[in-house]
Amino acid sequence: MDEKRTDLLRGTLDLLVLKSLSLEPLHGVGISQRIKQITKGAFQVSFGSLFPSLHRMEERGWLEAEWRTSENNRRAKYYRLTSSGRAQLKVEERDWNQVVKVMKAAVQST
Amino acid sequence: MARRILSLCRNLLRRRAVEQALDDELQSSVEILAQEKMKDGLPRSAALRQALIELGGVEQVKEEVRAIRAGTFLENFARELRLALRTLAKAPSFTAVVVLTLALGIGANSTVFAMVSRFVLHTAPVGNPATLVTLDTTDRNECCNHFSWPLFTDVRDNAKSFSGVAGFYELLPASISGSGDPQRLWGQAASTNFFDVAQPGMTLGRGFRSDEQNSPVIVLGHRVWKSRFNSDPGILGKSITLSGHPYTVIGVAPPYFRGIDLVLDTQFWVPIGNIDQLLPNTSRFDQRDYYWIAVVARLKPGVSHAEAAAELQLLSQRFAQAHPDTEKHLGFRFDQAGSLPPRDKSVILLFFSTLMLVVFLVLLIACANVGNLFLARAAGRQHEMAVRIALGAARWQLLRQILAESVLLSLLGGLLGVPISIWATEGLSAFRFPAPVTLDLNVDIDYKVLIFTFLLSLATGILFGLLPAWTAAWASPSAALKGEDVLARPGRFWTLRNLLVVAQISMSLVLLCVTGLCLRSLRSASSINIGFRSSGVLAMSIDPRLHSYTPERTVQFLDELRRRISAVPGVSSAGVTDALPLSGGHRSDGFQALGKKPLDPAPIVELYMASPGYLDTLGIHLLKGRDFSNESAGSPRVAIVNQVLADTFFPRENPLGQSVSSGGITYEIIGVTNNIKSRFLGEDLRPVLFRALSQTVANDPSFEGYTILARTPADPTAVAASVRSIIRDMDPTLAVFNEQTMEHHLREALFLPRLAATLFAVFGTAGLLLAAIGLYGVMSHSVSLRVREIGIRMALGAQARSVQHLFLRSGLQLTTLALAVGLPGAFVIARLFNSILYGIKPNDAITFIFIPFFLAFVALLASYIPARRATKLDPIIVLRYQ
Repeated sequence: MDEKRTDLLRGTLDLLVLKSLSLEPLHGVGISQRIKQITKGAFQVSFGSLFPSLHRMEERGWLEAEWRTSENNRRAKYYRLTSSGRAQLKVEERDWNQVVKVMKAAVQST
Repeated sequence: MARRILSLCRNLLRRRAVEQALDDELQSSVEILAQEKMKDGLPRSAALRQALIELGGVEQVKEEVRAIRAGTFLENFARELRLALRTLAKAPSFTAVVVLTLALGIGANSTVFAMVSRFVLHTAPVGNPATLVTLDTTDRNECCNHFSWPLFTDVRDNAKSFSGVAGFYELLPASISGSGDPQRLWGQAASTNFFDVAQPGMTLGRGFRSDEQNSPVIVLGHRVWKSRFNSDPGILGKSITLSGHPYTVIGVAPPYFRGIDLVLDTQFWVPIGNIDQLLPNTSRFDQRDYYWIAVVARLKPGVSHAEAAAELQLLSQRFAQAHPDTEKHLGFRFDQAGSLPPRDKSVILLFFSTLMLVVFLVLLIACANVGNLFLARAAGRQHEMAVRIALGAARWQLLRQILAESVLLSLLGGLLGVPISIWATEGLSAFRFPAPVTLDLNVDIDYKVLIFTFLLSLATGILFGLLPAWTAAWASPSAALKGEDVLARPGRFWTLRNLLVVAQISMSLVLLCVTGLCLRSLRSASSINIGFRSSGVLAMSIDPRLHSYTPERTVQFLDELRRRISAVPGVSSAGVTDALPLSGGHRSDGFQALGKKPLDPAPIVELYMASPGYLDTLGIHLLKGRDFSNESAGSPRVAIVNQVLADTFFPRENPLGQSVSSGGITYEIIGVTNNIKSRFLGEDLRPVLFRALSQTVANDPSFEGYTILARTPADPTAVAASVRSIIRDMDPTLAVFNEQTMEHHLREALFLPRLAATLFAVFGTAGLLLAAIGLYGVMSHSVSLRVREIGIRMALGAQARSVQHLFLRSGLQLTTLALAVGLPGAFVIARLFNSILYGIKPNDAITFIFIPFFLAFVALLASYIPARRATKLDPIIVLRYQ
């Protein structure tokens, strides 16, 4: 496996998760589908990275979880953004835009 | 952060619930995924399979989630410790040997550290010790003396670097009476600002006020307050009797404060103006050439040591001009309060550093030993390790586990080391230093020592665990799985284990050489010619001056006492003196011969008082002239000198009838004795001058009382009761102290050589044992690796003897190499010991020839036993078994 690639993914994964939860609470599978959807299928998040990321953000207090019944009548753990999670989303978005701007300039400079 | 700790607690305490929730979540995810697939028309079983594949395995995801949880590290650590505990419990004898070995090594180090912490690292028990300094005077840069009273007041009034300068007389004896037997205590007479400068804090009451210089007030030490006054909280304002005078208690010092320095056991403080009353008949206290007052000073905030030193330097030049007769070569030196006495500092530091070096060697040997045992175990566990690597364990995980084991072992060793060092420090505290004053030399195991022990144990565990762990974890698993011993490398000499053994033997050679030197030194110290006969002599002391005896009455009393004791049946002679020789230093003064060119510097002469019969009683021989015969106080002063003094002042002349003088007093020499050791056993001979007791008590009384000696042809303790009853008959209020036989006194004088020999004998033996065990372990391991080879050799007709030679030879190689490495090291280290050796040189031939042979013999024995065992095996069984 390529180390650098996973590192980049790990960094963006948090942003994608936060972004996908910004509209409504979702369960794990729902988040994975939402990410696929908003990245137009470019990112397929493995559950092996998604769940650790969810639990880490929960421990940090960015997400809150509760058990609810899903649309097809199954109990599932739904994740919701907390206020500090929203703040974090803003921070990550800004950072990302910064990176994009800088990288773009760097790439075009040659 | 708080949230993180909260999750940590939840994860650790409610592990089951957390795990359950994770399991539920993943199960529901699988269901949701499967339902989506079923919508696409897959049958449920296929859908579930697909869902599981997409998830990537429930257990794998769980592992990933667990890895990021708070407290994972702790959890893993706990698991590893549990595993290590289980592994060690399965090998109890191995564990016991290792823990015991380490406990010895660590305990020895803790003990020495406790001593260093007590005597070297401790700060004075005062408030803000960093800015408190002790001042000493120097003469021609020669260290060190106290201050005279005028000099003290000059410094106090002129030095601007200090916010306060306090002086005190260090060793003031007094008898405290009231309820119970009279008790003799040591206290200090201090200037009124003493407690303001030292700031020790008070348990009760206050220190002295500035208008109390001559007031009969007293601050009690905590111990005497507790033992004699039952910790009476209402003691302030009460009156107690000190040497017959009433004193009002104004304060009680805290338990940790027994004076500025760390060894005196001061039990009371009185204002310095009372010194004439408590030490009567000493009229020289205000003279400029009488250096008797110890000085401490508190640096002003912001004044550095260098600035204060510069100011004192200037002051000393001013004083030298103002008082050229006494202070011409005056200098000052100052030290942090509570640091070692400047005069003995270098010797004490040397003693402790060599001791630390030695115990560190013991620990290193222990480490090498345990490291070797670990290597042997690692060889036995290669298969296990290889299987675990093959199953996917990372190498660092194996490394971590071996380290967990070694650290666990060393911590257990440290734990056991604590009682060992408690036991050892108690034993050390029982050594009594030969001094007439009470000293507090107790060494305790405090929290600092415990922290040191813990850190040392940790470091030890990592040290001896790392190498074996490294080699075991890096061995090739494929070879190990096939059953090969990849660590063994038979036939190679430079293996790690051999290196460890060489290191061990050479270190124990160093230890043993030092031990040998100390034992030889003890032997030669006990055969040193001390110049008097200690057997059959009883000594006990009284201090009539503390009971307000006038000098005349004191002389009369002592004379009468001597007469009565001589008449006791079984006593052949009796005598009185002010101090016993070999008491670590008593009085001395500079002397000049009258009518000769003055020697520069004036020779320092040891001063003792003697009654008629004293020389006889101690068995000191008169070489020339006569003994004292109750010279009257008013008649011209007479003295008896020893051979060295006669030779110093009157070479090639008859000393009898000549005169020597000191402090304005002239003595006529009436006799010459053989030389005696005055302060310490190991000293070079010093000039000694005995003054007539009857002529000296009046103007230069003893501060430590007078000692009565009685010689008996039989056991001296048999007459002790009659001597005591004679004293009681003459004055029942007199406190009798320091009752002992001269034999006992002499044994105490052997303090240092005995201490050194005991310590090093213990450590040397420990080192030798450990090294022998180590060599034995390595040899028997290498024999066990070559059992097959031995079987083949013997099956082919090799003699048992030649096979044994094979192993003996490799043992001998290791030993020779170790001796070659260790011997120069031992030579170098032995030089450090020069100052504590008596009568032998540090390169003592007998030690350095005998010890290597002895060590080589032990080493050969340790390799012979396994070799012999190997050749006793039946080759057929060996070959079949392999």
